[in-house]
Amino acid sequence: MLDFFDVFLVQQLLNGLAQGLVYALIAIGFTLIFGVLNVVNFAHGEIYMLGAFAGLLAIQLLAPPAFAVLLLVAAAGLVLGVLLERVAFRPFRRFNDEASLKSKALREATLLSSLAISIITRELMQLYVGADMQSIPQAYLLMTPIQLGPLSIASGQVLIFVTALLMFLLLQWLLFRTRLGLSIRAVSNNRLGALHVGINVNHIIIATFAIGSLMGAVSGIVVGLYSGNIFPQMGFSPGIKAFVAMVMGGLDSIPGAVISAIVLGLCEALSTDFVSQGWSELISYGLLLITLLYFPRGLFGKKVERV
Amino acid sequence: MLLAVLWLLLGWLDASYLYRLASMALVFGLLAASANLITGVAGMMTLGHAAFYGVGAYTSALLSSQYQFSPWLTLPLAGVTAALLGGLTAWLTRRLVNVHFAVATLGIGQAVYVTLLNWVDFTRGPMGITDIAPLSTASPAINLGLVMLVFLLCYLVLERTVHSYYGNALRALREDEQCVAAMGLDPAKLKIQVMVLGCFIAGLAGALWAYSTRYVSPGDFRFSESITILAMVVIGGLGSLPGAIMGALLLTLLPELLRSLGDYRMLVVGSIMFGFIMFLPKGLIGEYSALRVFRSHLKALEQS
Amino acid sequence: MSAASQYHKALIIAAFSSLSLSAFAAPVAIGYQAPLTGEYAQYGNQFRNAANLALDEYNQTHKAAPVVIKFADSKGDALEGVSIAHKFSDDNSIVGVIGDFSSTVSIAAGKVYAETHLAQLSQTASHPDFVKISPWQFRNIITEAFEGPYNARWISQNKIKKVAVISIQNDWGQTASKNFAKSFKDAGGEITALESFNPGTRDFRAILTKVARTHPDAIYLALMYEDGAALLQQKLQLGFNVPVYGSSSMYEKKLIQLAGPAAEGVKISTTFTASSKEPNVQAFVKAYEARYHVEPSMFAGQAYDATRIMLNAIAKAGGEKASREAVRNALAATKDFPGVTGNTTFDPVTREPAKNLSRLQIHNGDFTSVAN
Repeated sequence: MLDFFDVFLVQQLLNGLAQGLVYALIAIGFTLIFGVLNVVNFAHGEIYMLGAFAGLLAIQLLAPPAFAVLLLVAAAGLVLGVLLERVAFRPFRRFNDEASLKSKALREATLLSSLAISIITRELMQLYVGADMQSIPQAYLLMTPIQLGPLSIASGQVLIFVTALLMFLLLQWLLFRTRLGLSIRAVSNNRLGALHVGINVNHIIIATFAIGSLMGAVSGIVVGLYSGNIFPQMGFSPGIKAFVAMVMGGLDSIPGAVISAIVLGLCEALSTDFVSQGWSELISYGLLLITLLYFPRGLFGKKVERV
Repeated sequence: MLLAVLWLLLGWLDASYLYRLASMALVFGLLAASANLITGVAGMMTLGHAAFYGVGAYTSALLSSQYQFSPWLTLPLAGVTAALLGGLTAWLTRRLVNVHFAVATLGIGQAVYVTLLNWVDFTRGPMGITDIAPLSTASPAINLGLVMLVFLLCYLVLERTVHSYYGNALRALREDEQCVAAMGLDPAKLKIQVMVLGCFIAGLAGALWAYSTRYVSPGDFRFSESITILAMVVIGGLGSLPGAIMGALLLTLLPELLRSLGDYRMLVVGSIMFGFIMFLPKGLIGEYSALRVFRSHLKALEQS
Repeated sequence: MSAASQYHKALIIAAFSSLSLSAFAAPVAIGYQAPLTGEYAQYGNQFRNAANLALDEYNQTHKAAPVVIKFADSKGDALEGVSIAHKFSDDNSIVGVIGDFSSTVSIAAGKVYAETHLAQLSQTASHPDFVKISPWQFRNIITEAFEGPYNARWISQNKIKKVAVISIQNDWGQTASKNFAKSFKDAGGEITALESFNPGTRDFRAILTKVARTHPDAIYLALMYEDGAALLQQKLQLGFNVPVYGSSSMYEKKLIQLAGPAAEGVKISTTFTASSKEPNVQAFVKAYEARYHVEPSMFAGQAYDATRIMLNAIAKAGGEKASREAVRNALAATKDFPGVTGNTTFDPVTREPAKNLSRLQIHNGDFTSVAN
């Protein structure tokens, strides 16, 4: 057993941590949007994909410095978020009465409208740019190895770590230290109540989508440059993992989602090492089921009697 | 009635493509109808229906190809295995509420897919199972007739379930679990029963699929398949049994009709789905109108 | 008034001529099923491009009895593939079918063609069971039962003793890696790791780290070029420096574009090389580049050959009067058909093709021929 505990295992833990942070990046925006509307936004993976493409377009057309790419992508994400909210979510907020808010049919319709939007977006992108991977100028790839003795870290892993940390801290600051954050928390807690105390619920929801999608888009380009993969289907698989992480973390807890995402990433890397990649996915879903079995509301979920 | 006319018409036309379309529509009709029972009527959002469908398909495919079991044996066995898995899922998740249940089923769905893909010694993994006997050696028309028969039986069972006091209890479960408990019914038990029945039918549909395609591989039971089934239910109208069948018809036949559109096909399907959700959120045949039609029918029967 | 009657007359003539066209000269058709949308769309579109090129060349020389190709999108989905198979079988103008891309879909559709008696020629399905379905199945790609041992011999000739294999978890990847591993062991080598990954995986760092622990002298990859590009980049970043050999599916210009310096030194064996000096290959590459502005890959070459083999069989079976039975027999009689991926002969019993492989290495951002 001891001979497994070697430099390769440490490298494997690093790989897992990086993969977990990738899931965490997506899960942060995902969770934020879920929290405010109580609806799963299936198009988040597509925002992630579009963010990567927006970044690639900027690189190809303008070849700006890397930092400017991030800013451009952030702006694109902002716009995309507002658009997405307008097209897929706003139409279902015609009614603000209690019955409609609790109506399952309406909630599921919203969920499926985002799913339909995600299919349409993916297909349009495939028609427009083709289904294959895009080539990324070598200079922008975040694959420069950083050697730490026998270990190898990619520059992208450092950036992903920094981005995840920044996003997480900024979001905590925004949610708990600003007026906007207070309103967001109010809307996510009780939309009718928020309406009654004079919060413009529509504006808050749009702002949440803008912030969440900004984060989704930025993670798209960062991960795209780090893994060397930008293609129309890229949002699907990490999107599902982020979804799982969100649920494991308790649906509306951002720290919970981040921790669960990292746990998922580590588990996948380790089970690839000890079993095989094919079965590693089974292990992450098994983990999800066990979590739900023992913590029916997720690891960090609030105790709510009725949902 | 309608099915008999359809069968005669297809038999007269005798085109293998039309047989194929008809059996595909029937299989997906069953899947949508069973998903409707779970998601629409009982309100348990399932994102892993393809798993139960896949387990059914693999059960019958393995039994038929490895042990030469007759379809009359493998069909019910496929249903039973899927029902067992469904019951187990429901038992494990009995304490979970809406989104958590949905994600748990998503997990089960992916777990089943990954198992089918990687358990090479048992399922032949990505190779799939190729040597499945046909449902009967008679003409394709007879085979289609058999599929129709199974469909009809399942439909009748579902109709009796949905439009009964038991169905009302399920609707109550959807709207408010605590109310159901207060009325002296056990929500956990109801959930397990619903999953067992729904998954049994999904398993049967899987077996029918295996027999009509005569080739199964893990790729047919991916997450996207679960989503398609859910979309059928939503397009038809959550909670409405005839709606679910209509939704299945629409989503299986539409892509075929649009085949000539080539590259734009999925785009058009996605847009139609979006249009439906946007402008007809209650579905083709809403639950309320479906129930009303059924009840007036019942009243007319009582009076005569 | 005369102008109006003239117009009516023209209309009637037009109507009749279109009628007669459809009644008498109903052109013979080939059904082509391939993933034109979905995750494998890039392969399907290459097939379509190459097939159209081959078709236009054929119709130029056979103006009297032109053939048309009816394309159908299978999305890489077995369910769709079976529906298309039924549709093609019902279409009386179709005398032969090409496709599908993956073995999974090809086999599912093949079950139908076996019953409806329509010849099916797949340009890429290399699953051993595919041609065993019925006498109606053909393929013009060599199987992994051929390529794997070839590569195993190549690697052991280069004095490499320990190899790790990484393959995609699909029907093709499984056969490819197993065939390779078996023949490499038979040649006296050692397989240090046999890893496969689920389709859709794009982060290979965990697998690479696991493989690195077994200290192989080389890695053999049985995967698609896109996965290959991502894997090679991540391998470079991890500082895992061992020679890489790949299956012919990685022969694709885009591999080099995507992976950049990470692709340097990778060795691949393939039946088709765009840089080949053979005149027919040069003519194909030139025509393909002129029309689609991109260098054809092995996949385009396979589809081009498949289409030409099918067209040749139709011509031999009687052109516009060809029956499905005759086309099938003409296909089975294909012998030494000169194609851009080598000469194709179908074995009379197994209907497997026999072809030659050539060795390539990526050097300075291009595929170059190597002797070992």
